[in-house]
Amino acid sequence: MFIDKSMTRDVLTVSPETGILAAQTLMAQNRIRHLPVVVEDDILVGVVTDRDIRSAMPSSILSEAEKASEERRLAFIKVKDIMTANPVTVSPAQTLEDALLMMQNLKVGAFPVVDPEGKLKGIISMRDLTRAFVNVLGLQEPGALIGIVVENKQGQMKKIVDAITEQGVSFGSILVSRMWDEGKRAVFPYLLTTNISKVKNRLRELGFTLLDPMDWYLDQLPKR
Amino acid sequence: MRRTGLVYDERFKLHKTGPGHPEAPERLTVILRGLEAADLLPKLIPIPATAAEMRWVETVHSPEYIHRFEQACLLDLGELDSADNQICPQTYETALLAVGGILNAVDTLMEGKIDNAFCAVRPPGHHAERSEALGFCFFNNVAIAARYLQIRWKVGRVGIVDFDVHHGNGTQHIFEGDPNIFYYSIHEHPSFAYPGTGREFEKGSGSGLETTLNSTILPGQGDEEYRRKIMRDLVPAFDEFMPEVILLSAGFDAHVADDMSDIKLSTEGFSWIMKRLFRMAVQYADGRLISVLEGGYSLDVLPELIRNHVQILLDL
Repeated sequence: MFIDKSMTRDVLTVSPETGILAAQTLMAQNRIRHLPVVVEDDILVGVVTDRDIRSAMPSSILSEAEKASEERRLAFIKVKDIMTANPVTVSPAQTLEDALLMMQNLKVGAFPVVDPEGKLKGIISMRDLTRAFVNVLGLQEPGALIGIVVENKQGQMKKIVDAITEQGVSFGSILVSRMWDEGKRAVFPYLLTTNISKVKNRLRELGFTLLDPMDWYLDQLPKR
Repeated sequence: MRRTGLVYDERFKLHKTGPGHPEAPERLTVILRGLEAADLLPKLIPIPATAAEMRWVETVHSPEYIHRFEQACLLDLGELDSADNQICPQTYETALLAVGGILNAVDTLMEGKIDNAFCAVRPPGHHAERSEALGFCFFNNVAIAARYLQIRWKVGRVGIVDFDVHHGNGTQHIFEGDPNIFYYSIHEHPSFAYPGTGREFEKGSGSGLETTLNSTILPGQGDEEYRRKIMRDLVPAFDEFMPEVILLSAGFDAHVADDMSDIKLSTEGFSWIMKRLFRMAVQYADGRLISVLEGGYSLDVLPELIRNHVQILLDL
């Protein structure tokens, strides 16, 4: 799954010479938190975030007089003065998995997407990945989730899929939680049917254990 | 005692869904047997079912969809839109008959000949979208009744209460922009149950913002949570909205004995809900209430639940 397919293409940008107050307004009006900074030919030179700008702002504990002079000073600060130059970027040919892992490792919320010449092609943010996740979960289609505990060994998924398919039920998605008890996994098929009782009964007949919905989880903090 | 109408027709059983399907004709058989055994049938005013006129069905469904549904039945295609929605050659006429029966109940109510009514109809309706059959539903019975009240009877404010254990996605979507039809649903939390809509943050859109309201119940919960959320959410909302007529999407699948959900409402819990709704109808709508059967698949408990439901409508 390439970033190319899921990134936002219509990206608002600023130039290094843009004032930070103008950049802040642009972000607020468009409800975004990252602005790629580009020069001629869309060559990326940096990224400025709403947090960069907030750090440059006067503290709220200043007196009125101090504030006024601070604001005059701010009017002269340019994006190039506070931006992250040479930010971490990704290429359109990298994958969503790359972007997810990089966000986790680098604790960054968005990456500019640039081609080999350094031209800005788009941006991939948590927002794009959220949209993709909602999509893969199948949440836009009517359905119901069930939770099954299985031994962590080969062939379990086939049994589940076969049993459900035999009931004439289609799948919206299947999630696997791998942090279950020792040697176990939890499988969560999202089924495009309201008729889940027959599926549950069939799975029980086959010896599977269905999880109490109040005990479901996909992920949790590691046990200490 | 109130004058309560009953919409029932043996032909509602002609919609056959095939072996093992929970939305089966036997549901109506046991319901009727239950009413009979409790000697309630002589107390009810029978309302005939006649095929609904197409112009009323078209207030909710697209002509293309209606045509597609009709063709699928004529050609005996077996299902419409997904395997949940099993059809037979008679399904289309049965669905029209169900809608027509409910509209007859609306007429009888608005003419002042009854105080309220229970409509023991099949197929159910609340999942049906404008152009899609879903979750055993083909025509959205309650939605068509609401539009009929608006257009034919010039009712300004219609309140719909849906206590089927599943969210009525169809009804919500049809009315989410309409400030004059309030849709309230209480159902199992959508992360655990079909169809996955009806989250508490869904509150309508445009001028219909705040006339959609959802209360969600977590798996394993029952009477107490229903009581708490109806008092917290529905009661103040209707106090403000003041519906002139209340329509119920009456599903009985939240019962502890019904394996279609993880919700554990008791028989008494259902009676409490129904009494509360009856009171609200008296308070705002001069008692005007039409209850329309949706889900409820346990043939063991349906007769008792419906019997209690009807007894409360009769105010015995």
